[in-house]
Amino acid sequence: MTKDIFIGEISNNEEIQGNCFLMKVILPASFCDPQPGQFVMIRISGLYEPLLARPISIYSFSRGKDSCAIELLYSVVGKGTQILAGLISGSQVEIHGPLGRCFEIDEARKNIVFVAGGMGIAPLSLLTEHLCGDKCFSQSPMTFYLGAKTAKAVVGLDKLQKLCYNINVCTDDGTLGKKGLVTQAFQKDIKKYSPVNTAVYACGPKEMLKSLAKILRGSNFISQVSLEERMACGIGACLGCAVAVRDNKGALTYKRVCADGPVFNLREVIWQ
Amino acid sequence: MKTKTLINMAVNLGRIRLKNPVMTASGTFGYGEEYADYVDLNRIGAIVVKGLSLKPRFGNPPPRIMETAGGMLNAIGLQNIGVDAFIDEKLHFLQKFDVKVIANIYGETYAEYIKVAKKLSMAKGVHALEINVSCPNVKKGGISFGSDPKTAAQVTHKVKDATGLPVIVKLTPNVTDIAAIAQAVEKAGADAISLINTLAGMSVDLKKRMPHLKNIAGGLSGPAIKPVALRMVWQVVKRVSVPVIGIGGIMTAEDALEFLILGAKAVQIGTANFINPHATIDILEGIKNYLQSNKIKDINQIIGTFQP
Repeated sequence: MTKDIFIGEISNNEEIQGNCFLMKVILPASFCDPQPGQFVMIRISGLYEPLLARPISIYSFSRGKDSCAIELLYSVVGKGTQILAGLISGSQVEIHGPLGRCFEIDEARKNIVFVAGGMGIAPLSLLTEHLCGDKCFSQSPMTFYLGAKTAKAVVGLDKLQKLCYNINVCTDDGTLGKKGLVTQAFQKDIKKYSPVNTAVYACGPKEMLKSLAKILRGSNFISQVSLEERMACGIGACLGCAVAVRDNKGALTYKRVCADGPVFNLREVIWQ
Repeated sequence: MKTKTLINMAVNLGRIRLKNPVMTASGTFGYGEEYADYVDLNRIGAIVVKGLSLKPRFGNPPPRIMETAGGMLNAIGLQNIGVDAFIDEKLHFLQKFDVKVIANIYGETYAEYIKVAKKLSMAKGVHALEINVSCPNVKKGGISFGSDPKTAAQVTHKVKDATGLPVIVKLTPNVTDIAAIAQAVEKAGADAISLINTLAGMSVDLKKRMPHLKNIAGGLSGPAIKPVALRMVWQVVKRVSVPVIGIGGIMTAEDALEFLILGAKAVQIGTANFINPHATIDILEGIKNYLQSNKIKDINQIIGTFQP
């Protein structure tokens, strides 16, 4: 069985920056190796409040001899994440996954660009780790554009610095790195990259992805983005997490972020 | 297994015999295949598939769902692949299993209901139809059929005329007198009645002062609605003689047993599937354990044993 619900035990759950938490969950060895871009649905067993599990993308994964562990990076945005933030080490959680479609890696596109906003670093950090361990990409130039509102909202930089030499940090207020939007920083550099051998991977707030789409419109860059939406089931049954996309005839249709995504080609997404 | 006495779990829903009373609720179990990795579909009493319309429907723009206290609101907007694609692409998968397949159908006009019913009646592998007269999400939607005894009866009558399959009518709770609607559809020939569909509801985003759902209103489901559902099932079982299927916030075997004791012949599991994809089997096992520990050998001995 590739996906199921596992009982995990929290080994660490701490606030690493204002409002942003890093949770480590120990899982049985039968939990499958997640691919970058995949997520889990997390829930406290037996409770109806919150009722639904919360989708959180996998930030890191490690496998030990008899168990494995995932790390989840999340910010408190509502009731569900608020309750998750209050869980202490030793608490049990239900972990459903790994779920969803991962980033597709094109070996012909050796030049890698990442564009992350806020918590969007989580799946891209796992992807960076994955690519760094891939022989095919070990010599590849990788450039990371990491944006956040303010210095205090920049997370995951320590881990990233060990993986990627070329990191451009931007904050809206200039408290860390360059002042300005992460998409502007990427746009400024865009001429450095050749569209045919570059892959752009992005994750972040809707507005960020929307302006990235605008920047890349009409170009030959291939960009894959990881999207977020409220979910109930996480496996494609409830149709709650709809995203508007263009079908192959160019007409609007809805896809499911959980099962058809969360990774989509930026080009197919319709921004409303 | 030798220590366990054999318990009869089979129930009759009029002409349909289910191996057990645990069904899935339409819209919460996809077309079955979404859950095949999690549960043995052969063990489920019946699978009620996502509501089917004559033409494919895109559904509503997002956001479509919002969690509320003990429940969730949804405004999916009856997104579905359409009856033809269901027959061509989805039905053969379900036919591989020894499970009753019930097609939930939806139309915006009587003619659409009739066409969908006819197509499904000719397809192999559909055991019954469930008419959605109640989905509150689409503006021109089923609400107009299900909220009035006359139109509810009319649509039942027309679908009955169009098909030889058993017809279940799924009622909306968003009415003044649900028992009157139940009696009207029974008179019009319904073979069974299922209730309740979701309760109409809303939720407001305080930051934006906007609705959480793009559609503004949605349907409330989950454990929050169970007491409402129980009371409506009780109102209906007293007034009709056709089998009644209980739906609404069933999360556990105990919840399901409440409906069965009230007189529901079967139950449908909905929102629970989203939280626990094994919910149907967990509930089935729980019911069996309850019967076992109470030394009841036949599920039918507990149905309708409520002592008011």
